[in-house]
Amino acid sequence: MSKKVSFSGFSDMPPVTVSQGSMSFNATGNWRYLRPVYSEKLAPCRNLCPAGTDVPKVLALIAEEKFEEAYHLIWKTNPLPAICGRVCYHPCESSCTRSGIDAGVSVQALERFVSEMCLDLQPDLPSVKNSGKTVAVVGSGPAGLSCAAFLARDGVNVTVFEAEERPGGMLRIGIPSYRLPRNILDRELEKIARLGVAFECSCKVGKDLTFASLRRNYDAVFVATGAHSSRIPPPLRDSRDLVMTGLDFLKATNLSTPPEIGKLVVVVGGGNTAMDAARTAVRLGAQPVVVYRRSREEMPAGDEEVREAEEEGVDFIFLASPTAVQRNSRGLEIEFQEMVLGPPDGSGRRRPIPVSGSSFTRQADTVILAIGEDADLSLLSTYEADPGVFVGGDAQTGSSTVPDAVAAGRQAALAILRYVGVPASESATLSKPANHFSLDALNPDYFAVFPRVEPRHLDVETRLSGFPEIIQTISSLEAVQEAQRCIPCGVCNQCDNCWLYCPEGAISRVNGAYSIDLNYCKGCGICVQECPRGVISLVQEES
Amino acid sequence: MIVTTEETREVITGNHAVSHGARLARAQVISAYPITPQTQVVELLSSFCEDGSLDAKFIQVESEHSAMAALVGASSVGARCFTATSAHGLALMHEMLHWAAGARLPIVMANINRAMGAPWSVWTDQNDSLSQRDTGWMQIYCESNQEVLDTVIQAYKTAERVALPAMLVLDAFVLSHTAEPVEIPSQEAVDDFLPPYEPDLRLSTEDPHSFSGLATPDTYMEFRYGIQKSMERALEEFQRVDDEFYEAFGRRYGLIEQYRTDGAELLLVTSSTITSTARVVIDELRDSGRHVGLLKIRLFRPFPGELLRSLVANAKKLAVIDRNIGFGVGGIFAQEIRAALYNHIQIPVFGFVAGLGGRDVRPSLIREVIEYAETHEEPEDLIWKGVKL
Ligand SMILES: Cc1cc2nc3c(=O)[nH]c(=O)nc-3n(C[C@H](O)[C@H](O)[C@H](O)COP(=O)(O)OP(=O)(O)OC[C@H]3O[C@@H](n4cnc5c(N)ncnc54)[C@H](O)[C@@H]3O)c2cc1C
Ligand code: SF4
Ligand code: SF4
Repeated sequence: MSKKVSFSGFSDMPPVTVSQGSMSFNATGNWRYLRPVYSEKLAPCRNLCPAGTDVPKVLALIAEEKFEEAYHLIWKTNPLPAICGRVCYHPCESSCTRSGIDAGVSVQALERFVSEMCLDLQPDLPSVKNSGKTVAVVGSGPAGLSCAAFLARDGVNVTVFEAEERPGGMLRIGIPSYRLPRNILDRELEKIARLGVAFECSCKVGKDLTFASLRRNYDAVFVATGAHSSRIPPPLRDSRDLVMTGLDFLKATNLSTPPEIGKLVVVVGGGNTAMDAARTAVRLGAQPVVVYRRSREEMPAGDEEVREAEEEGVDFIFLASPTAVQRNSRGLEIEFQEMVLGPPDGSGRRRPIPVSGSSFTRQADTVILAIGEDADLSLLSTYEADPGVFVGGDAQTGSSTVPDAVAAGRQAALAILRYVGVPASESATLSKPANHFSLDALNPDYFAVFPRVEPRHLDVETRLSGFPEIIQTISSLEAVQEAQRCIPCGVCNQCDNCWLYCPEGAISRVNGAYSIDLNYCKGCGICVQECPRGVISLVQEES
Repeated sequence: MIVTTEETREVITGNHAVSHGARLARAQVISAYPITPQTQVVELLSSFCEDGSLDAKFIQVESEHSAMAALVGASSVGARCFTATSAHGLALMHEMLHWAAGARLPIVMANINRAMGAPWSVWTDQNDSLSQRDTGWMQIYCESNQEVLDTVIQAYKTAERVALPAMLVLDAFVLSHTAEPVEIPSQEAVDDFLPPYEPDLRLSTEDPHSFSGLATPDTYMEFRYGIQKSMERALEEFQRVDDEFYEAFGRRYGLIEQYRTDGAELLLVTSSTITSTARVVIDELRDSGRHVGLLKIRLFRPFPGELLRSLVANAKKLAVIDRNIGFGVGGIFAQEIRAALYNHIQIPVFGFVAGLGGRDVRPSLIREVIEYAETHEEPEDLIWKGVKL
């Protein structure tokens, strides 16, 4: 309560009224019928990153030039940042709020920049005792690697069994080095090995070692064998020897010597494998044409990849599907049927319908089929009910993506830890804010238009001189500038606006955050309006 | 361009004289909204702030009301504050003018006298500033660009001594846009003359208080009494500051200036730039043996009534030229003068209204005014001069 002061008259009064004591007795909070709630929201980038990267916090660290801290934070959920920084389809960027202001933040380029800066840095992990538990991981693709890394982090002894001579899965077998240089892959693998993960390569489970013995000798098994059996269109099944699968072609080129493919190459398919096969063929001196049964819009391959393939001279034929292939005097003749698009099918894309009597042929030296790959889980036929056997990645979902495989590996690691009774280190169970950031909460007045940093691409001629990496890493100056474009959505960066604008002075700074004193908050909502990034929201007060 | 801190003599407009005055006074916070004919004042000040000639925070606002509101805040923490405006801008500030005075904040403002609409006008007359007569602001009417510059500095010193805001007033275009040679004092000399502002009470996070909160009928009247007492003290302080200024810079203006009044039977009373024209007419008439003299009222608030009475004691008649009109009564200076005399001396006061909306007040008109007063015995409250009927 304020002090009562009495004056005898003008001579003992101050020149203006001056408060003595305080107005704290006047609890303006009881005027309130709306209540501001200070709570961070889930940014769209973080929500959509399959690997669960806390994008806004990572970007904030980069903006402050704290590159190593940013790296350690990414590593908390993603042990392959240098790889995702190159080959991820980056839903973080397509969903970025800034695209409504100028252009999405170059998150992937930033992730790549940070992991490049920290290529020699081991992740900063909690120190845990060896648990004495053992886990076998079958398959060394991103799912297997991620699972192994997060198990090793929490003191589990992991052995990864890999059929190929060297680990990496599709990252080594499928993805060409112009998109993922192998020294980068090797550096990421070394870091995981340094956590104590053992690799048994050239060991195909089911052939070199029985699954049963594996299951016997380990406390749990994680099966991440990927999706490697290439589909063959039914009409061509009888001509199997005349054609090559995209995966076989890429695997041969990536792992040993490229096969002889001649000049005229027909690639059937419209996904990642088709694009990489066609672009690899260009680099081997061929003139490939990609034939896809729907139109360009329906292509599962990323837009950027299709554009780059076109730049590199790959031809496209849309709305055609192969019906036969045979040898002739000049090589191979492949016959196609034309298609039209009907109503959408189960995948949401329009279904191709054959146009009767509309076939055409194409001469080829090599026909490459890249219409998709399926998982082969015959290994597991008798282990379905075994709670100590876990499956994840492409093996479980069918062909998917690297960050999805990373996420599956991490989830599997958490499940396995629980199964073998080893506590997960705190950071393994990072929680995300429950409420999503909403665009309405953005106060656009606070954000000026600022151009996005685009990573540089090699020119086409240099690209085609071999397999040099196309996209270049951005500079640290560009990285800091780009990271500063991040809003960050729903994440408090202590801008002090709420604290400054609250007319009741009801907001105080507490340990790098703010607290609202509801005894005095009258619910005017000014803090909500002036929070540029939607951290404070209004809820109806219960009457 | 960083301006020199040495003493110089330059040909500058009245508006730029205001800017230099505020610069030399080291205003710390400037907040203003542009309006014809004031714009160049803040234009130059903003470039002073940008090029480092003046270390002040320049706050751009969306209205004059906000400009004054911003200065009320800034002055409360002890910053020396400056703004400039004109006519409708001043009218929009009205509420905040009361507040600045009531809160005892020594803000200094330049008002360029411009006639009020409707109908629109951009030319000079005094109705805008005189409408703010009772807000508690001191008002000083200037005649030359030199006086304008010097008055900014004098106004701060007086205002800070009595804790009341001050408005210096200059005629649109006749001064604001007309260039004259002006002595620009050195920064060092002004620093010696005008100490930094040190308020007794200030808003501070170190010792938090709220100011100017509710005053009940029990105390409100004493705060008003305080303002009036300070206004009375300001009369003496303003004189003292003018004397100190004379010592430092060799120039003085007085509260009311007497011009060739020795033995004058008729005293012409003017303010602002009409005075300069009147000086020419007085010279002429004096030299031909007529008993006329001139009083220039510089300080309008507080009104120097006692001084006025002493200066007119020996005169037989007064003729007042008002470039303003108090509708329903007559010229405002004339009313003030009659009010100052009434209880004390009986002298006929002729009230002339001329030059509204920037109409020229020429020597011929001033001669007619004098002629009229000389030849009429019965004083009249309101005589229109130069109106086309
Ligand atoms: C050509 C191509 C390009 C691609 N490009 C991209 C891209 O740009 N971005 C993206 O996000 N995704 C891309 N993908 C998809 C991505 O590579 C996969 O989704 C991802 O690698 C799946 O990871 P995984 O760990 O589940 O399986 P894989 O990476 O397939 O790894 C499985 C591993 O298990 C091994 N294995 C299989 N069976 C056994 C066994 N019995 N015993 C021992 N080892 C075994 C395999 O040899 C392989 O090394 C691409 C795929 C292909 C084919
Ligand atoms: S992993 Fe992919 S989605 Fe996640 S932050 Fe990196 S580029 Fe974006
Ligand atoms: S602005 Fe930042 S936080 Fe928001 S979506 Fe984009 S990257 Fe994420």
